[in-house]
Amino acid sequence: MSPATEVNLVMLRELRRNFRSVKGIILSVIALIGGTGASLLLVKFQEFKRTQFADMSPEDMTAIREKGLSQVYDTDTAKSLSTSPEVLFAVLMLTIWLTPLIISMLGYDTVASDVQYRSVRYWSVRARRWSYFLGKFVGLFLTISAITLAMHALVWVVCIARGEASAGATFGWGIRFWATTLPMSAAWCAIATFISALFRVPIWALLVTMAGFFGLWLLWVIGVAGDWPAFTYVYPNTYDKFLLSPHAWRAITGVGGCAAIAAVAVGAGMTVFARKDI
Amino acid sequence: MSAEAEQTEKPKAAEPAPAAPEKVEAAKVEDKVAAKDDGNEAGDKEDGDNPYLAVANKPEVEVKKKGGKKKREVEIAVRLTQVTKRFGAKTAVDGVTMKIKAGLVYGLIGPNGAGKTTTFSMMAGYLKPTEGAIEMLGFAPTSVDELRSRVGVLPQDAILPASDTVGEFLLHMARLQDIPKDKAETAAREVLAEVDGRDWWKLRCSSLSHGMAKRVSLAQAIMGEPEVVLLDEPTAGLDPRIAYEVRQIVKSRRGRCTLIVSSHNLQELEEICDAAIILDRGRVVAHGTIQELTAASEEIHVKLAPMVADYRTGDAAPSLSAAIAGVRDLPMVKRVEFDEEKYELVVHFEKKTVDAETVIGGVLWVLLNHRARISSVSKGRGLEQRVMELT
Repeated sequence: MSPATEVNLVMLRELRRNFRSVKGIILSVIALIGGTGASLLLVKFQEFKRTQFADMSPEDMTAIREKGLSQVYDTDTAKSLSTSPEVLFAVLMLTIWLTPLIISMLGYDTVASDVQYRSVRYWSVRARRWSYFLGKFVGLFLTISAITLAMHALVWVVCIARGEASAGATFGWGIRFWATTLPMSAAWCAIATFISALFRVPIWALLVTMAGFFGLWLLWVIGVAGDWPAFTYVYPNTYDKFLLSPHAWRAITGVGGCAAIAAVAVGAGMTVFARKDI
Repeated sequence: MSAEAEQTEKPKAAEPAPAAPEKVEAAKVEDKVAAKDDGNEAGDKEDGDNPYLAVANKPEVEVKKKGGKKKREVEIAVRLTQVTKRFGAKTAVDGVTMKIKAGLVYGLIGPNGAGKTTTFSMMAGYLKPTEGAIEMLGFAPTSVDELRSRVGVLPQDAILPASDTVGEFLLHMARLQDIPKDKAETAAREVLAEVDGRDWWKLRCSSLSHGMAKRVSLAQAIMGEPEVVLLDEPTAGLDPRIAYEVRQIVKSRRGRCTLIVSSHNLQELEEICDAAIILDRGRVVAHGTIQELTAASEEIHVKLAPMVADYRTGDAAPSLSAAIAGVRDLPMVKRVEFDEEKYELVVHFEKKTVDAETVIGGVLWVLLNHRARISSVSKGRGLEQRVMELT
């Protein structure tokens, strides 16, 4: 049996496990309700803004948005994003910030619980350790991708139904924004799976995952505050600046950065897990 | 070996190989030296007359299966060479060497902390030895691709995945064993029926009782007719009826594969095993066939009841010492001991000149002639007693 088949079988089971477990269902529902609720609030805010700034032309509004976005993104990216539906952009930001939390909650026991309850022993005689780990990582990543897609799709519906943007603009920007979250999710999932593989007790994996994610954010803060860019590159969410760029080479750099983090974490996880006594 | 298999290599053996019996017959090994306590090794003695533990000189034949996967036809199913496992400062297994011939039912015996489960876990590839080497069917236990579907394992405390139904779990395991998709469900259902769980297909694993979960776990271990099956405490925590059923399942696999059973239940092991290794504090203290370990071919035990007067004739109670003296005078008998506390006669004989059945006949004849009252007769001292002596 090829390793790819093993990975595929483990991944399919992981998807089933995640969507069937109480934790997976609750997290999915919270993500969906949270996303929908946030989008409705944003729509209300848009209505409020329209009444307050009724005398301002759409061009002026776009210019103000561009100015605001340029505080975070480079000029071209800010210019490009300023024309996107605001609701969709807000949901993208929400997803970028929310995803690590969902991943830490869903991914901390992806390997650790199997080791704790020794269920992993049923797999270890049938699947290579590294393909088991890879299958777990891919399963977690696809679960998160499916949850964020569902969340975004709900917002797309709200966006079109409330007339915030045309269907073309909604799907165009919506799919792009959702796709932007994928490389960052992959990096977070890889780190979470790696940490999960280090522990036998899931609660330790959860605490270390959260501490690890916080530590990466702290490094990013230090990197930004101290003007040490190298520090910021270990934080997956920093790559949204690249991924949202209208220039392909910058977007590819963003994908590459996230892929590098994911590759390092997955590689380390596979190595550690293959040597681990289970 | 499949019909498509192609022999690619046949290494030369140093010595011509003794013919290895396909099916193990206990009677053929009566002339084997009794279990020895002189080293931390099992099965590596130069005893070509022992079909259970002897080193097989028969060469390992490496064949190539369809699809290029290598498979070795081996005489020795499991080989441990100077295996040590340490957990920090604690040495759980200390330089264990053993060879288990293919086709045997082999027991791993020992008290708590003897190193049974650690040894078992290293065989299954769960733990890596600190020192030494392990081969399963000629491969390292972690060679998953080479051993896939050739080795089945029943882990002791592994919890079945709670969110899966029994059917989903077995189907998933079958697919990972490389059983084709169209045959996986049939294989899973068949093995579930074998453990008497044909109605459990749609039950969640989390809803199974301990006995049911153990049998599902056993089902995954024996699915796909593996060549080696490792069973860690297969009947632990089961009620007597289910334990009996599990034993019958294990017995039904006899001759179809090599079975290695780790258990505390010595009566069970005595019943189902051909041979065993006794571990204590991580070291081998004895090994051999069950006959050897229990000295079944060297001594018989006769449990007696107190002598009483004959109620029909009114004769006085006969003399027990006369009966014992009569037994001692038998030419086949080497030595006689009488345990007054247990009221048990232990008759030792030379196994090379006479078999246990002949001795039983002779001893009973003498005892009955002396009007001794016999409660029971057994060959050997029982595995339990042997283990108690050694550990």
